[in-house]
Amino acid sequence: MDNNSLTALFGDDSTAQKSGYVIRAVEVCKVFALGEHETHALRGATLDVRRGEYISIMGPSGSGKTTLFNMIGGLNKPTSGKVYIDQVDIAQLDPYELAWLRCRKVGYVFQSFNLIQVMSCIENVMLPMAFAGLSSEDAHDKARDILALVGLGDRALHKPAEMSGGQQQRVAIARALANSPDIILADEPTGNLDLKTGEEIIELFARLRDQLGVTIITATHDLKMLKRSDRIVWIEDGRITRVTTPDEMKIKIEEIH
Amino acid sequence: METILSQVKLPLKRSLQIAVQGIRIRLGRSLVTISGVALGIAFLMSNVSAQFIKAAIGKERELRQTVKLMETVVRSEVGDFAGKSLSVAVFGTLSGAERSLLERLAAAQLAALKLYGLNVPGAAPAALKGIGQDSHALLVLGNARKCPVALEHLADGLKQKVVIDSLSNRVFPAFVRQGRATALDPGSAAEDQVRREVFFSKATDEQIAKLSHAAEQDRFRTIWIVVISILVTVIGVSNALLMSVTERFREIGTMKCLGALSSFIRRLFLIESALIGFCGSVLGILAGGLLPVIVFGISFDFRSVLLQMNFGLLLASAAGTLVAGTLFAIGAAIYPANIAAGMVPASALRSNI
Repeated sequence: MDNNSLTALFGDDSTAQKSGYVIRAVEVCKVFALGEHETHALRGATLDVRRGEYISIMGPSGSGKTTLFNMIGGLNKPTSGKVYIDQVDIAQLDPYELAWLRCRKVGYVFQSFNLIQVMSCIENVMLPMAFAGLSSEDAHDKARDILALVGLGDRALHKPAEMSGGQQQRVAIARALANSPDIILADEPTGNLDLKTGEEIIELFARLRDQLGVTIITATHDLKMLKRSDRIVWIEDGRITRVTTPDEMKIKIEEIH
Repeated sequence: METILSQVKLPLKRSLQIAVQGIRIRLGRSLVTISGVALGIAFLMSNVSAQFIKAAIGKERELRQTVKLMETVVRSEVGDFAGKSLSVAVFGTLSGAERSLLERLAAAQLAALKLYGLNVPGAAPAALKGIGQDSHALLVLGNARKCPVALEHLADGLKQKVVIDSLSNRVFPAFVRQGRATALDPGSAAEDQVRREVFFSKATDEQIAKLSHAAEQDRFRTIWIVVISILVTVIGVSNALLMSVTERFREIGTMKCLGALSSFIRRLFLIESALIGFCGSVLGILAGGLLPVIVFGISFDFRSVLLQMNFGLLLASAAGTLVAGTLFAIGAAIYPANIAAGMVPASALRSNI
């Protein structure tokens, strides 16, 4: 697929390049009340993400990684602090506007794919388009193009159960791309995949970022993924402890033969 | 961010498709749920059906009483049937009781039973004259009394000069004078007396009170069964859908992440429940409506029950039950649907079901 048809598919990104930050999180705190206990998942995390960046969030489990992740994706509202997605404070959105935001601004990729098992690949990709109000015919054409983009053009009518993990994750990525989002949020996208297919997914993300200019944010422990990202955000005990580039870290990946 | 121009609603067809898929992949449990609804509705419907059958049996019993009464009158006027012959003139159409009477007369030990259909317009008067020739009595039956010939002429040549008219108090003067004419009219004083003698002579006030008490108990039982069956339906559907919600946490969460509105999720469950309710109601109505008919039919008498049933009303109440069953199922889905719709997308994804 050449760049012209991609531009047609995803719209011209030149306007998007102008506004610098696609996500800004300012002093975000999140408290979960579990009975009488209060769990501070985030204690003032501040993070800016530029458009077109490929960011990895690292941290041990329980560090608040998933909470920050959900906050950025508009899945959850902060207890205090502000989260701006495309200059919009998500705390001020009503449920309907949040659904709109999730539908068009953000694409989600999950560790366990979360494809709807009873639907074929193309139906899975068409689902968010239906939520966005696209007509069935338009959605069908667009879904075909996107499936071709992730390299599954010939598998459109297969059911998820008939596909390998890597292929399912590609479908999930195609689904995340369905409404041409600015941001793709991927929660351990390679967590359930073997090394090789994981690598293919990482490559796919890099390619999507380069070709479409989408911002990619992943929560991951995958060293290969870290190595590919522009910045790595370290989070510990609800705080962002450091932000590094892969070059500053010494990631060395040995080949397995 | 662009302003939201119009609220995007997923077309109903699409929601319907997804709901049907939801039922299909959980076919096993959907069937259990449907049979739960069917059971409740069958309960309800069998009750309705039984009421109609009771009414039909009551009618049939009344009809038989009327027939018995008519026969009694005929016998009392004609005397012993052995060797006697009867002529029957039929005007218009026969009522059920009259038809039964004719059947009974045909089965009786009469020498001859001659039937004349006189509802032919423009029949030659000459042909009608003397149809009672050589008979012992003339029965005039049917719902019309248009005859080109004076009725008494029909009775020319009767051996016993007995004319019995089933309709109203028409008494033929000539025969009244001879003291042989009888009006066989349900509701006449003479009939009332016979009826009382035959059916109520033994019933004391106490027995009648007992009867009405039984009727009241019956009504109470009916209401009880209706309430129970509705509860069975509603709780069964609600429970099944709650399970369906917990099972589908991940799917619902995914859809919400993809931008599905809460209203869409709610609608999904309501549609699914409506479909389950509809299918279950249809099955329940068939089972509950037909079973009592078959049982009563075998234990009583198929033909007479079916003849006396008010099928139009039965169908109407079946349609009502269908609507009610579907509405109950939708009502039962409100709580589970709200739980599903109110789910936070992130929490839905975290669950490991």
